[in-house]
Amino acid sequence: MKENDFKNSNSMLDDEDELTVKQVKDGLEKLDQWNPVSTPNLQWFHQTVELEKKRIRKKQWKELLAFISVAVFLLTIVIAVVYRQPILFLYFQLVGIILLPLALKKNRKKVRNE
Amino acid sequence: MDEKDLIRKAKKGDTLALSQLLQQNYSFLVKYLMKVTLHPQIAEDLTQETMMKSIEKIQLYNGESKFSSWLITIATNLFIDQQRRKKREKKWLEQEQALRKMKWNAANMNEEWIDVLDVLAQIKEEIRMPIVLKHYYGYSYEEIGKMMGIAEGTVKSRVSNSLKSVRKELAEREGK
Repeated sequence: MKENDFKNSNSMLDDEDELTVKQVKDGLEKLDQWNPVSTPNLQWFHQTVELEKKRIRKKQWKELLAFISVAVFLLTIVIAVVYRQPILFLYFQLVGIILLPLALKKNRKKVRNE
Repeated sequence: MDEKDLIRKAKKGDTLALSQLLQQNYSFLVKYLMKVTLHPQIAEDLTQETMMKSIEKIQLYNGESKFSSWLITIATNLFIDQQRRKKREKKWLEQEQALRKMKWNAANMNEEWIDVLDVLAQIKEEIRMPIVLKHYYGYSYEEIGKMMGIAEGTVKSRVSNSLKSVRKELAEREGK
Protein backbone atom coordinates (compact mmCIF):
# COMPACT_ATOMS: atom_id res chain seq x y z
CA MET A 1 0.00 0.00 0.00
CA LYS A 2 1.32 3.41 -0.86
CA GLU A 3 0.38 5.15 2.35
CA ASN A 4 2.87 7.97 1.83
CA ASP A 5 1.04 9.00 -1.30
CA PHE A 6 -2.21 9.56 0.54
CA LYS A 7 -1.24 13.08 1.54
CA ASN A 8 -0.17 13.91 -2.01
CA SER A 9 -3.31 12.42 -3.50
CA ASN A 10 -5.44 14.42 -1.13
CA SER A 11 -3.54 17.69 -1.44
CA MET A 12 -5.73 18.88 -4.32
CA LEU A 13 -8.98 18.19 -2.50
CA ASP A 14 -11.19 20.73 -0.76
CA ASP A 15 -12.37 20.17 2.82
CA GLU A 16 -15.64 18.54 1.80
CA ASP A 17 -13.89 16.15 -0.57
CA GLU A 18 -11.35 15.31 2.10
CA LEU A 19 -14.13 14.40 4.49
CA THR A 20 -15.73 12.17 1.85
CA VAL A 21 -12.37 10.52 1.13
CA LYS A 22 -11.92 9.88 4.85
CA GLN A 23 -15.36 8.30 5.07
CA VAL A 24 -14.59 6.10 2.04
CA LYS A 25 -11.25 5.04 3.51
CA ASP A 26 -12.76 4.28 6.91
CA GLY A 27 -15.49 2.21 5.29
CA LEU A 28 -13.00 0.22 3.22
CA GLU A 29 -10.80 -0.38 6.26
CA LYS A 30 -13.80 -1.73 8.14
CA LEU A 31 -14.39 -4.09 5.22
CA ASP A 32 -10.90 -5.53 5.81
CA GLN A 33 -11.68 -6.01 9.49
CA TRP A 34 -14.95 -7.81 8.77
CA ASN A 35 -13.44 -10.09 6.14
CA PRO A 36 -10.09 -11.31 7.45
CA VAL A 37 -7.91 -13.03 4.85
CA SER A 38 -5.99 -16.19 5.65
CA THR A 39 -3.06 -16.81 3.33
CA PRO A 40 -2.48 -20.48 2.40
CA ASN A 41 0.94 -22.00 3.07
CA LEU A 42 3.79 -21.99 0.55
CA GLN A 43 3.23 -25.64 -0.33
CA TRP A 44 -0.28 -24.84 -1.58
CA PHE A 45 1.07 -22.06 -3.82
CA HIS A 46 3.84 -24.34 -5.09
CA GLN A 47 1.33 -27.05 -5.97
CA THR A 48 -1.00 -24.55 -7.67
CA VAL A 49 1.82 -23.07 -9.77
CA GLU A 50 3.06 -26.52 -10.82
CA LEU A 51 -0.43 -27.68 -11.81
CA GLU A 52 -1.09 -24.49 -13.77
CA LYS A 53 2.26 -24.73 -15.56
CA LYS A 54 1.44 -28.34 -16.50
CA ARG A 55 -1.99 -27.27 -17.81
CA ILE A 56 -0.42 -24.45 -19.87
CA ARG A 57 2.17 -26.82 -21.38
CA LYS A 58 -0.57 -29.29 -22.31
CA LYS A 59 -2.65 -26.52 -23.90
CA GLN A 60 0.34 -25.26 -25.90
CA TRP A 61 1.07 -28.75 -27.21
CA LYS A 62 -2.57 -29.18 -28.22
CA GLU A 63 -2.55 -25.85 -30.07
CA LEU A 64 0.71 -26.71 -31.82
CA LEU A 65 -0.66 -30.09 -32.92
CA ALA A 66 -3.88 -28.48 -34.17
CA PHE A 67 -1.85 -25.90 -36.12
CA ILE A 68 0.39 -28.57 -37.68
CA SER A 69 -2.64 -30.73 -38.58
CA VAL A 70 -4.42 -27.86 -40.32
CA ALA A 71 -1.21 -26.85 -42.12
CA VAL A 72 -0.58 -30.43 -43.34
CA PHE A 73 -4.22 -30.75 -44.43
CA LEU A 74 -4.13 -27.51 -46.45
CA LEU A 75 -0.76 -28.38 -47.97
CA THR A 76 -2.10 -31.81 -49.00
CA ILE A 77 -5.07 -30.18 -50.74
CA VAL A 78 -2.83 -27.69 -52.56
CA ILE A 79 -0.42 -30.42 -53.69
CA ALA A 80 -3.32 -32.63 -54.81
CA VAL A 81 -4.88 -29.78 -56.81
CA VAL A 82 -1.55 -28.82 -58.40
CA TYR A 83 -0.85 -32.40 -59.49
CA ARG A 84 -4.32 -33.39 -60.65
CA GLN A 85 -5.74 -30.13 -62.05
CA PRO A 86 -3.08 -27.43 -62.29
CA ILE A 87 -5.51 -25.13 -64.13
CA LEU A 88 -7.77 -25.02 -61.06
CA PHE A 89 -4.78 -23.93 -58.95
CA LEU A 90 -4.10 -21.12 -61.43
CA TYR A 91 -7.73 -19.99 -61.19
CA PHE A 92 -7.42 -19.78 -57.39
CA GLN A 93 -4.25 -17.72 -57.75
CA LEU A 94 -6.01 -15.33 -60.17
CA VAL A 95 -8.99 -14.92 -57.87
CA GLY A 96 -6.55 -14.19 -55.04
CA ILE A 97 -4.71 -11.56 -57.08
CA ILE A 98 -8.01 -9.84 -57.93
CA LEU A 99 -9.41 -9.98 -54.38
CA LEU A 100 -6.24 -8.87 -52.58
CA PRO A 101 -6.22 -5.24 -53.84
CA LEU A 102 -9.94 -4.99 -53.07
CA ALA A 103 -9.39 -6.15 -49.51
CA LEU A 104 -6.49 -3.71 -49.07
CA LYS A 105 -8.56 -0.84 -50.51
CA LYS A 106 -11.32 -1.58 -48.01
CA ASN A 107 -8.84 -1.41 -45.13
CA ARG A 108 -7.48 1.91 -46.34
CA LYS A 109 -10.99 3.36 -46.50
CA LYS A 110 -11.58 2.35 -42.89
CA VAL A 111 -8.49 4.26 -41.76
CA ARG A 112 -9.60 7.36 -43.69
CA ASN A 113 -12.97 7.25 -41.94
CA GLU A 114 -11.29 7.37 -38.51
CA MET B 1 15.52 -12.78 -1.00
CA ASP B 2 14.04 -9.48 -2.25
CA GLU B 3 11.21 -9.06 -4.73
CA LYS B 4 13.46 -8.29 -7.70
CA ASP B 5 15.42 -11.53 -7.24
CA LEU B 6 12.22 -13.51 -6.93
CA ILE B 7 10.83 -11.89 -10.09
CA ARG B 8 14.04 -12.62 -12.01
CA LYS B 9 13.97 -16.26 -10.93
CA ALA B 10 10.23 -16.61 -11.55
CA LYS B 11 10.65 -15.30 -15.10
CA LYS B 12 13.33 -17.94 -15.68
CA GLY B 13 10.81 -20.62 -14.72
CA ASP B 14 11.57 -21.08 -11.01
CA THR B 15 8.32 -22.43 -9.57
CA LEU B 16 9.32 -21.82 -5.94
CA ALA B 17 10.17 -18.16 -6.59
CA LEU B 18 6.83 -17.59 -8.31
CA SER B 19 5.02 -19.38 -5.47
CA GLN B 20 6.74 -17.11 -2.93
CA LEU B 21 5.82 -14.00 -4.90
CA LEU B 22 2.20 -15.08 -5.08
CA GLN B 23 2.09 -15.95 -1.39
CA GLN B 24 3.57 -12.58 -0.42
CA ASN B 25 0.97 -10.71 -2.46
CA TYR B 26 -2.04 -12.96 -1.85
CA SER B 27 -3.60 -11.05 1.04
CA PHE B 28 -3.03 -7.68 -0.70
CA LEU B 29 -4.77 -8.99 -3.82
CA VAL B 30 -7.78 -10.46 -1.98
CA LYS B 31 -8.22 -7.25 0.01
CA TYR B 32 -8.04 -5.12 -3.13
CA LEU B 33 -10.60 -7.27 -4.90
CA MET B 34 -12.84 -7.22 -1.84
CA LYS B 35 -12.84 -3.42 -1.96
CA VAL B 36 -13.59 -3.06 -5.65
CA THR B 37 -16.08 -5.92 -5.92
CA LEU B 38 -17.68 -5.49 -2.48
CA HIS B 39 -18.44 -9.20 -2.87
CA PRO B 40 -16.30 -11.71 -0.91
CA GLN B 41 -17.11 -14.69 -3.16
CA ILE B 42 -16.35 -12.84 -6.41
CA ALA B 43 -13.19 -11.45 -4.80
CA GLU B 44 -12.02 -14.95 -3.93
CA ASP B 45 -12.80 -16.34 -7.41
CA LEU B 46 -11.08 -13.44 -9.11
CA THR B 47 -8.02 -13.91 -6.90
CA GLN B 48 -7.70 -17.48 -8.18
CA GLU B 49 -8.17 -16.33 -11.79
CA THR B 50 -5.62 -13.55 -11.34
CA MET B 51 -3.06 -15.98 -9.97
CA MET B 52 -3.59 -18.37 -12.89
CA LYS B 53 -3.26 -15.52 -15.38
CA SER B 54 -0.08 -14.26 -13.70
CA ILE B 55 1.47 -17.74 -13.87
CA GLU B 56 0.70 -17.81 -17.60
CA LYS B 57 1.88 -14.25 -18.30
CA ILE B 58 4.88 -13.94 -15.96
CA GLN B 59 7.22 -13.81 -19.00
CA LEU B 60 5.44 -10.65 -20.16
CA TYR B 61 5.91 -8.80 -16.85
CA ASN B 62 8.49 -6.09 -17.48
CA GLY B 63 9.27 -5.30 -13.84
CA GLU B 64 8.68 -1.55 -14.25
CA SER B 65 5.88 -1.51 -11.68
CA LYS B 66 5.74 -3.36 -8.38
CA PHE B 67 4.60 -6.98 -8.60
CA SER B 68 1.52 -6.09 -6.54
CA SER B 69 0.60 -3.34 -9.02
CA TRP B 70 0.96 -5.81 -11.90
CA LEU B 71 -1.37 -8.23 -10.11
CA ILE B 72 -3.86 -5.43 -9.51
CA THR B 73 -3.78 -4.58 -13.22
CA ILE B 74 -4.59 -8.18 -14.14
CA ALA B 75 -7.30 -8.41 -11.49
CA THR B 76 -8.87 -5.10 -12.54
CA ASN B 77 -9.12 -6.17 -16.17
CA LEU B 78 -10.51 -9.59 -15.27
CA PHE B 79 -13.17 -7.93 -13.12
CA ILE B 80 -14.10 -5.42 -15.84
CA ASP B 81 -14.42 -8.25 -18.42
CA GLN B 82 -16.46 -10.38 -16.04
CA GLN B 83 -18.87 -7.54 -15.23
CA ARG B 84 -19.35 -6.69 -18.92
CA ARG B 85 -20.50 -10.25 -19.57
CA LYS B 86 -23.05 -10.17 -16.75
CA LYS B 87 -26.55 -8.78 -17.10
CA ARG B 88 -27.47 -5.74 -15.02
CA GLU B 89 -30.22 -7.52 -13.05
CA LYS B 90 -27.91 -10.38 -12.15
CA LYS B 91 -25.18 -7.96 -11.03
CA TRP B 92 -27.67 -6.06 -8.87
CA LEU B 93 -28.98 -9.26 -7.27
CA GLU B 94 -25.49 -10.57 -6.56
CA GLN B 95 -24.45 -7.26 -5.03
CA GLU B 96 -27.54 -7.13 -2.82
CA GLN B 97 -26.95 -10.67 -1.56
CA ALA B 98 -23.29 -9.93 -0.82
CA LEU B 99 -24.13 -6.73 1.04
CA ARG B 100 -26.75 -8.54 3.11
CA LYS B 101 -24.19 -11.19 4.03
CA MET B 102 -21.53 -8.62 4.92
CA LYS B 103 -24.05 -6.67 7.04
CA TRP B 104 -24.88 -9.89 8.84
CA ASN B 105 -21.15 -10.56 9.41
CA ALA B 106 -20.68 -7.04 10.78
CA ALA B 107 -23.66 -7.43 13.08
CA ASN B 108 -22.23 -10.73 14.33
CA MET B 109 -19.06 -8.89 15.28
CA ASN B 110 -21.16 -6.27 17.12
CA GLU B 111 -20.06 -3.66 14.61
CA GLU B 112 -22.25 -0.96 13.12
CA TRP B 113 -22.64 -1.03 9.33
CA ILE B 114 -21.15 1.93 7.45
CA ASP B 115 -23.43 3.71 4.98
CA VAL B 116 -20.58 4.64 2.67
CA LEU B 117 -20.25 0.96 1.68
CA ASP B 118 -23.87 0.95 0.49
CA VAL B 119 -23.17 4.09 -1.50
CA LEU B 120 -20.01 2.60 -3.02
CA ALA B 121 -21.94 -0.55 -3.94
CA GLN B 122 -24.45 1.55 -5.90
CA ILE B 123 -21.73 3.11 -8.04
CA LYS B 124 -20.71 1.38 -11.28
CA GLU B 125 -17.55 -0.67 -10.87
CA GLU B 126 -15.69 1.34 -13.57
CA ILE B 127 -16.16 4.36 -11.32
CA ARG B 128 -15.69 2.64 -7.98
CA MET B 129 -12.30 1.22 -8.98
CA PRO B 130 -10.58 4.58 -9.64
CA ILE B 131 -11.77 5.94 -6.27
CA VAL B 132 -10.36 2.93 -4.43
CA LEU B 133 -7.10 2.98 -6.39
CA LYS B 134 -6.65 6.75 -5.99
CA HIS B 135 -7.84 7.47 -2.50
CA TYR B 136 -7.22 4.19 -0.69
CA TYR B 137 -4.08 2.89 -2.40
CA GLY B 138 -2.66 6.27 -3.45
CA TYR B 139 -1.91 5.43 -7.09
CA SER B 140 -1.48 8.34 -9.49
CA TYR B 141 -4.06 9.13 -12.18
CA GLU B 142 -1.53 8.03 -14.80
CA GLU B 143 -0.96 4.67 -13.09
CA ILE B 144 -4.71 4.08 -12.74
CA GLY B 145 -5.21 4.98 -16.40
CA LYS B 146 -2.61 2.39 -17.40
CA MET B 147 -4.13 -0.23 -15.11
CA MET B 148 -7.63 0.25 -16.47
CA GLY B 149 -6.66 0.99 -20.06
CA ILE B 150 -8.28 4.44 -20.07
CA ALA B 151 -7.00 8.01 -20.46
CA GLU B 152 -5.61 9.91 -17.47
CA GLY B 153 -8.21 12.65 -17.97
CA THR B 154 -11.02 10.08 -17.86
CA VAL B 155 -9.69 8.78 -14.54
CA LYS B 156 -9.56 12.31 -13.12
CA SER B 157 -13.13 13.11 -14.12
CA ARG B 158 -14.41 9.75 -12.90
CA VAL B 159 -12.78 10.20 -9.49
CA SER B 160 -13.94 13.77 -9.12
CA ASN B 161 -17.53 13.11 -10.25
CA SER B 162 -17.88 9.98 -8.18
CA LEU B 163 -16.59 11.74 -5.05
CA LYS B 164 -19.25 14.38 -5.58
CA SER B 165 -21.98 11.80 -6.00
CA VAL B 166 -20.80 9.82 -2.94
CA ARG B 167 -20.85 13.02 -0.90
CA LYS B 168 -24.33 13.94 -2.16
CA GLU B 169 -25.71 10.48 -1.48
CA LEU B 170 -24.19 10.41 2.03
CA ALA B 171 -25.66 13.84 2.78
CA GLU B 172 -29.08 12.63 1.63
CA ARG B 173 -28.84 9.55 3.85
CA GLU B 174 -27.79 11.64 6.83
CA GLY B 175 -30.69 14.02 6.17
CA LYS B 176 -33.23 11.18 6.25
